[in-house]
Amino acid sequence: MTGDSDFKLDINGRTRRFDVPATTTLLTLLRDELNVTSPKRGCNQGVCGACTVEVDGWPVRACLTLAAGCAGKPVRTIEGAGDALTGALQRSFVALGAVQCGFCTSGMLISARDLLRRVPRPTIEQVQAALSGNICRCTGYRKIVDAVLAAAEECAP
Amino acid sequence: MLANVPEARPIAGGATLVAMINADLVRPAALVSLDGIAELSGISGTAAGGLRIGAMTRHRETASDPRLADSLRLVAEAAAVIANPVVRNMGTMGGSIAFSDPCADYPSALVAARAEIEVAGPTGRRRVPAAEFFVDWYTTALEEGEIVVAIHLPPAVAGVSTYRKIARTAGDFAIAACAAVVEDGGAVRVAVGGCGPVPIADPAAEAGLAGRLAEPGVVRAFAAGLAEMADPMSDVRGSAAYRLRLIPRLVEATLGDLAGMREQAA
Amino acid sequence: MSRPDVLDSTSVGRSVPRLDSTEKALGRAQYIADLYRPGMLHAALLGSPHPHARIVGYDIAAALAAPGVVAVLTGEDVGDGLMGAFIKDEHAIAKGKVRYVGEPVAAVAAETFEEARAACRLIEVIYEELEAVLTPEEGLAPGAPIVHEDLERYFAVFDAGSEGNVAARSHFEEGAVDDAWADCDVVVEGEFTTQAQAHLAIEPCGALAEIDATGRVTLWSANQSVFRVQANVCESLGLPMSKLRCLTPRIGGGFGNKMEAHIQPIVVALALKCHRPVKLILSREEDFEIVRARHPFRVRMKTGAKADGTLVAREVEVLLDCGAFADDSPGVLGYSLLMARGPYRIPNVRCTGRLVYTNKLRFGAFRGFGNPQVSFAGEQQIDMIADKLGLDPMALRRRNIVVAGEPWFLGQQVASCGLADCLDAVEAASGWGARPAVERLGTKRRARGLAITAHISGLLGTGAIVRVLEDGSIVLNTGATDIGQGSDTVLAQICAEALQIPLDRVVHASPDTDGSPYNWGTTASRVTYTTGRAVVGAAEEVARKLKEHASEMLECDVDDVELRPGGMVGIKGVPARVLPFGAISARAHWAVGGPIVGDKTLVFDQPTHDPKRAVARGLPFGKIGVFSFGALVVDVEIDEVTGKVKVLEAWFAADVGTAINPMLVELQFEGAIVQGIGYALFEEMVWDGPRLANPSMMDYKVPTFRDAPYDIHAIIVEAPEPGGPFGAKGAGEIGINAVAAAIANAVEAATGHRHHHLPLTPERVLSGLLDDEGAEEIRAA
Repeated sequence: MTGDSDFKLDINGRTRRFDVPATTTLLTLLRDELNVTSPKRGCNQGVCGACTVEVDGWPVRACLTLAAGCAGKPVRTIEGAGDALTGALQRSFVALGAVQCGFCTSGMLISARDLLRRVPRPTIEQVQAALSGNICRCTGYRKIVDAVLAAAEECAP
Repeated sequence: MLANVPEARPIAGGATLVAMINADLVRPAALVSLDGIAELSGISGTAAGGLRIGAMTRHRETASDPRLADSLRLVAEAAAVIANPVVRNMGTMGGSIAFSDPCADYPSALVAARAEIEVAGPTGRRRVPAAEFFVDWYTTALEEGEIVVAIHLPPAVAGVSTYRKIARTAGDFAIAACAAVVEDGGAVRVAVGGCGPVPIADPAAEAGLAGRLAEPGVVRAFAAGLAEMADPMSDVRGSAAYRLRLIPRLVEATLGDLAGMREQAA
Repeated sequence: MSRPDVLDSTSVGRSVPRLDSTEKALGRAQYIADLYRPGMLHAALLGSPHPHARIVGYDIAAALAAPGVVAVLTGEDVGDGLMGAFIKDEHAIAKGKVRYVGEPVAAVAAETFEEARAACRLIEVIYEELEAVLTPEEGLAPGAPIVHEDLERYFAVFDAGSEGNVAARSHFEEGAVDDAWADCDVVVEGEFTTQAQAHLAIEPCGALAEIDATGRVTLWSANQSVFRVQANVCESLGLPMSKLRCLTPRIGGGFGNKMEAHIQPIVVALALKCHRPVKLILSREEDFEIVRARHPFRVRMKTGAKADGTLVAREVEVLLDCGAFADDSPGVLGYSLLMARGPYRIPNVRCTGRLVYTNKLRFGAFRGFGNPQVSFAGEQQIDMIADKLGLDPMALRRRNIVVAGEPWFLGQQVASCGLADCLDAVEAASGWGARPAVERLGTKRRARGLAITAHISGLLGTGAIVRVLEDGSIVLNTGATDIGQGSDTVLAQICAEALQIPLDRVVHASPDTDGSPYNWGTTASRVTYTTGRAVVGAAEEVARKLKEHASEMLECDVDDVELRPGGMVGIKGVPARVLPFGAISARAHWAVGGPIVGDKTLVFDQPTHDPKRAVARGLPFGKIGVFSFGALVVDVEIDEVTGKVKVLEAWFAADVGTAINPMLVELQFEGAIVQGIGYALFEEMVWDGPRLANPSMMDYKVPTFRDAPYDIHAIIVEAPEPGGPFGAKGAGEIGINAVAAAIANAVEAATGHRHHHLPLTPERVLSGLLDDEGAEEIRAA
């Protein structure tokens, strides 16, 4: 509550204790304390989406999330992903050109995975809406949509 | 806790407060999380047949609640266009309205919906009608030490409603927005957002619209009246001149669309 | 199409996934912000609060005494060295005066970033405020405050004609423009303005410098050229280049933002002061405020034609806002004038312009490099002429476009040109002419717009070294930074093709000023063509040496051996007599001749200016050429209630010579078009007096998934360039140039209003629809 906070977090399945200032964001904690560098700092204001990670099963902005507020909620980044959906997305992103500079990619994959979990066969518009919080300056977006649709095709029952 | 620790700030979703901390714009001595307080969470029915939206309700939940239908649908539509899906997993209605950003989406929707804001503080509880809650730029009726507890909506009434937002890109703050309700019984309620420090509404003039949406001259006069009340700002999203020109067009178009929807439904 | 010099294409023409995409998809790619060195300090910057002021003194005592602080850097710590791509006018950190709000004036290195930031707030700088100039017009006014008093003493690499606040002026002319108007049956004239656009690569700029025991500096930074970093840091700090080694992590996009120096000189200076590694990553706000942006232009243009549609004359005058430092601006001025004629045969052309210093953030390289700005004017004027003559805009363009063998403006040879095929392709794909000019559905109007463009690919110096390792696999070293566009992969594909080996046997070495051959930079759409040529040359030398060894090992004549697919050399016609590269390389390493290395360096040396046909003063690039071409059709919807414009669909066909990797070429087209949509419709850096009003992603918006059409049809046209690597030309910028013009042409078709100002905001378009007086004068507040 004041000054430093002492709490435990489950990051990618491993629980650790942290003792950091209360205003430490999850993004800072992941990158600086744990060297989990897949979430990127693109704006530190929650707009670009490059820091998107999963907390308690939902994609959130790590840069706007207080680390201490994640106690008791599983935190998942791309490094910790071993599920079939993430694998399919990663393969289709690589194969279909959805990765250029790659800075937005980790956050993009988190949002895409969340979509496919809830909507296994999305339309183009649904993909665009679900990923509208992840900015890409390189690809023009089309190939990312195609990659998400391809992964959906591969994984949908 | 808030009362006892000077300079302590309550934190809801964090979408705005943490961004300000990151930018070194605020340095709170302490943060008191409102997460996990039962009374602040969830959307529930009220004894009066309306809805009670807990202050900590995420935009995502509000956007997808099927009970926000007919005359209450506009509240869900406003929630659905805030920022983007990821931020909608984090931001809360209580946190958002307490900030009172004139270009945010809830204020005009809640005014048109005739919402009441339930507030609690050291001196007790009270309810504030939405139109009186948003007082000025980034200023609400909250007194020192008070927080928003819940937003109360009257019972849904058969009809149509919508929240229409004009912005530069998807998820941007509004240049202007029109929240409107047309009840089957003929009542009309309209509020315009993004065009001044608080939502613009004229309940007295609304009475003259009831059942007369098919008359273009009546609608035009009403829309022009709202524009007259506006004192919009110029910002990077749009100029005051553009907002003034936009208000009547937006209000007319929104009411026209709603009237058309009612005809189709009929 | 045929490539007679290639027996069996193993890589070129294949849409292989980028070589680095797996590590990026796994979240393991290391960008500058992900790098750490033991004992590393963190830096923070203090920026100037004034647009123009003399620095009278500093009081850093409190900052030095603050917790965690190891060093404080100011202009007093750096010598008088000046850097600059064309005009050397910039110190490593503000020295003597400040020239824009936000200009770094001091830096602190401390154990943590928070401590560095807190210490910055304790630094006192005493200023004597000076009057500022905030627009080029103010800069040109008689008696205006002078931004660079020493301008005439600065070293310039070309005849800039610098004077007062005019950093550079250019004048290019062919034919007899003043007499030509009399021959025109129709003349259109107008003035256009364009806005400042922010690159907004998702990765902000950053650098990390470390000093070794001998005092040598190793510098990692987000960059588009390790060699430009090296030159800028060494020139500004007075270091011999051999004392600085520049390296490259993965880069999170550049688009021009990272082509010249950003904070590298400051970080190196701090590291030298502390003798500990120092890292600085800019915040998004700082990236907006202190790096660079696209030049705002004022373009006066006049175009004339005969009644049958033959273009006769064009006159162009541009005025560029330089910002506080020259940076790449003289290049943008010259290049924009070189391209302002457009890809047309126009016999009488005069293009002139001036670049004026102002007390604002400096403007610099940004995809298109002046071409989008002049195209916004030029491609609208072509449509205006079509309109006046009652001709179809497509037909009018076909009548006048350049063809292979004709000269570009000023005389550069156009050796390959597929522009006619590009027009055919977009005409067919979009169904141009098959739909009514304007369609209405409720309160929406739909219309189409067309615009065409060209862009260069050959510029300046580059090299390639190809080494055969002991086992026969290949290391390719070109010094070209992959900024996210895929050059590592494309260059490896070229090398693999030339040696007929599988792509996975080639690795492209990370750029390193110690070990890589010089490469001017990843910019100007030049790497595939310019560096690709060097790769082919180096690979051919390796092939020659492999064959020499093989002929000795196989005891035959060297003309009797050939490369075979899969990394082999064998005797022609005798399948059984064959040696793998590994066996040959082992012999070379251990027995005869030495390890096999091929190298090729070159400078693009085709002269741009033929003095027999044209006059050119102030030509910043004396040798620039090799043209790609493109044609764009957009389908646009306008909301009559709000004036908001939406691009529904786009067809873009571009001639890139040969697409080494078609998927990566499409990505360049698609990405450039979306960036162009942002430029055309809503991206704008806004100044409130001397301060940038919107240096944040909340207030400066780039397109999201929902603001870009899914239906972008990227069509590759191939008119191979004779000297290009397997015929390839550039592809990186061609997609952005025509977007604003095509959209403006569509808006005119839908609304009847010709727009002269970017961006085409809802406010401007609504005014145009309602035909207001005020439409021309509207500016963002």
